[in-house]
Amino acid sequence: MVLRGVLIWGHRSVGGMSDRQLLVDAKDIGKRYGDFVALHPLDVRVHEGEFFGVFGPNGAGKSTFIKLLTGQLRPSIGRIEVLGIDAVADPQHLKANIGIVPESESPPSFLTPPEFLTFVASLRGLEDVEGKVDHWLSWFGLNEKRDTMCKDLSKGQRQKVMLASAFIHAPKLLFLDEPFANLDPIYQRKCREWLLDHVAKGGTIFLCSHVLESAERLCNRMAIINEGKVLAAGAIEELKLDGETLEDVFIRLVGHTIEEAEQIAGTDEEEE
Amino acid sequence: MNLGASVRSRDWDEVVDALGQARVAVLPGDGSTHVPELHLNEPRRGWAAFRITFRAMFLEEWRETVDFAQARQIILFPLLLSLITAVTTIGLQFLVGTGAAQVSDIDERTFSWDQLRIGVHLPLLMFSLGMGTFAFKGQEAIMQRTGSKNRLLAAPALQPLTTSAAHFTYFVKDLIYYVLLILTPIVAGMSVGLILDEAGLIQTPLEWSSVFWTWAAMATTLAEGLALAFLGSVLWLRGRPFTWLGPVAAVAVGLSAGVGLFPWDMALVGLAVQRHHALMPLLFGIVGAGLLGALASSLLVDDFEVKVTSKKNLLNPAMRRLRFLGTGPLRLLVAKEFVDLIRSGTMKKMTVSYSVPLLVLLGMAWLIDFAEAPIPINLLSYAPFLGFFGFNFYSWLTILDDPDFMNGLPLRVPQLLRAKVVVYFLATSWISLIFFVLMAWRLDEWAALPTGLAVMFANSIYIVALTAFLMGLRPNKAIFDGRIMFWFWLGTVLPLLGLFLLSFTQGDVELYGNWWERVSEDGLSATATAYDLEMVRGGYLGILSISGGLLVGSAVLWALIDVRWGKKPFEN
Repeated sequence: MVLRGVLIWGHRSVGGMSDRQLLVDAKDIGKRYGDFVALHPLDVRVHEGEFFGVFGPNGAGKSTFIKLLTGQLRPSIGRIEVLGIDAVADPQHLKANIGIVPESESPPSFLTPPEFLTFVASLRGLEDVEGKVDHWLSWFGLNEKRDTMCKDLSKGQRQKVMLASAFIHAPKLLFLDEPFANLDPIYQRKCREWLLDHVAKGGTIFLCSHVLESAERLCNRMAIINEGKVLAAGAIEELKLDGETLEDVFIRLVGHTIEEAEQIAGTDEEEE
Repeated sequence: MNLGASVRSRDWDEVVDALGQARVAVLPGDGSTHVPELHLNEPRRGWAAFRITFRAMFLEEWRETVDFAQARQIILFPLLLSLITAVTTIGLQFLVGTGAAQVSDIDERTFSWDQLRIGVHLPLLMFSLGMGTFAFKGQEAIMQRTGSKNRLLAAPALQPLTTSAAHFTYFVKDLIYYVLLILTPIVAGMSVGLILDEAGLIQTPLEWSSVFWTWAAMATTLAEGLALAFLGSVLWLRGRPFTWLGPVAAVAVGLSAGVGLFPWDMALVGLAVQRHHALMPLLFGIVGAGLLGALASSLLVDDFEVKVTSKKNLLNPAMRRLRFLGTGPLRLLVAKEFVDLIRSGTMKKMTVSYSVPLLVLLGMAWLIDFAEAPIPINLLSYAPFLGFFGFNFYSWLTILDDPDFMNGLPLRVPQLLRAKVVVYFLATSWISLIFFVLMAWRLDEWAALPTGLAVMFANSIYIVALTAFLMGLRPNKAIFDGRIMFWFWLGTVLPLLGLFLLSFTQGDVELYGNWWERVSEDGLSATATAYDLEMVRGGYLGILSISGGLLVGSAVLWALIDVRWGKKPFEN
């Protein structure tokens, strides 16, 4: 079911959705810097057990979208409620209960991986900090780098530390921005499997990427955005026209101007 | 019925009116995302968050220092401080005049204890004012967090920690770090002097009862300076009118204390602690600094935005203006540094931070002239000090940008270092020039102006060339490297002292007589005698020789930068 500028996902791809708990509820969130609109107003509602992908070209507004939902940015307008927490009023409480892996951020340069993980686990008030730190260091194969300062790790190893810091408190909701960018294929697969398992157990994942392969492999729903606007959203199969690949969908939508893309959405609506 | 997730996107103008208000009021959340069976983590706040963050930040600071200076030099630095203080303790008797035969006018040619106290606390305050701009540091950490370097000061962006808590912890961490690494070795050096006194090896007028109070008083001054600079930097970031409030208030307070509107004790609480050895000023100073730090922290807002701004091309116009630098990479790098300076807004901050010590120096010149103090200081005495402030400016230049990306370019570290020296010279020369001309006008010493300018610029070039040669791209960390600081001390203090002492042979010699000659003959029992033209001439030639030597030294250091930094990677 596709409406003009609005898409409501049906039950087809995820069964039993009606029983699922709403985890993210944002109303009219938008971000503007002076005259530049980074993100046009959005309404977002996401439930538990969803693997939700936000895809778009570089500079489309994906990171802004995720930063707003995670309390890293204050919206110019709108309100955001996540896990019952007002993300604007109490971002500290929100960050204690979600996991964030940003697109390009390293752990503190002069701490070792266990020191950084101990820091983030302690701030969240977790129990058995040492056990959790040991577990995730082993899981990511970082035991041999326990005494190495993060600045001296490779990009991939730093990314593993960031992922471990987001997983360490087993959050129900994870926000991942290009999480696999620097990982080797072995750990890409390992992480994908963990994330899918997490979702199967009721976790929810927001994934931002421009790698469409990730969408096909992981997401049960996705949105394609460009120039700060959602161009289309839905279950992947619903977005494809006859015989189209996901890449075709992406180019068809993003390759046009926004007005043209909206025109396409309007045509779809009339056809329905 | 729940239909699953939904996303709805609308045009900005559909939702927001021309005045920027939402056309339809957005109601607060209704708690529908609350998961009853989910146990939510309660983030650590207050003391618990401070404790966790302090531990990690202290570790981070120590690691960063050791990473640059190596453990051996880290230990050498406090040892060096202790040694210098011990020597100073031994020399105290001469400084205050108790080491020579007491004559009626001896106090006029030695320092009083109170002058010495001010001499300790005023520079310490200046140092802490320079080091305490934590709001700027936090902003830089946030801006740089997407690069290869990251600091805990940027942790609030992702972790459950407020910006205020992170900055307050950083303030306390820095205070304790400086107390441990700088003030405690100084006091240890004093103790060594006292022990030698008790062993009968030397004589010092210092008493054991002063040791604790000196430490406490210096810590109070340090805390005050850090807190004031912290508050000033926070106010600056909050925009107008606060931007100007901090600097104007600081200059007003300094001038008011300078002209005696209120005692120095009230402006410099550490000095009051030192003078009176009293607990109340100590408590007032430390608690007051803590409260100022807390106030500054509370005024910070959680702002992790990387502003999206469009700018006109500045690089090409800068390149055109720098034609005189030739066609090589130096011109390109200098242009790039200037663009960084302007775009980051650092040009304004640096100009202010460079001008404040010069303003203080100008105020000092005016006060000494105004009070007709019996010290033979003249325009040429100030010239080397103006050049000395170049160290601070150069330090700022090295933290503008993360230079790691240059490792992949056909460039070498010495080229960037030289570009920074050139930028320093181009960006500050006009400020120094204005201040020096103002001083000449204030002291009515126009005749000394050309020589003074030559001395000032020679010093300026030399200090920055020496800093670049010794410390490369990381001067902020090098200050904790004992080996580097030893050479820096040797390389700066000796010529500075030489120029300063020789300057006494110049200026208003009719009033002060052949002060230098008499002092060199009779020490502290010297008395003024007849005016000696030969002595003036000799002193003048000495000043020119040292300045010429500094220029030659600068050229040598300029060349040696290649040897020292030629094979090093770009990192700051």
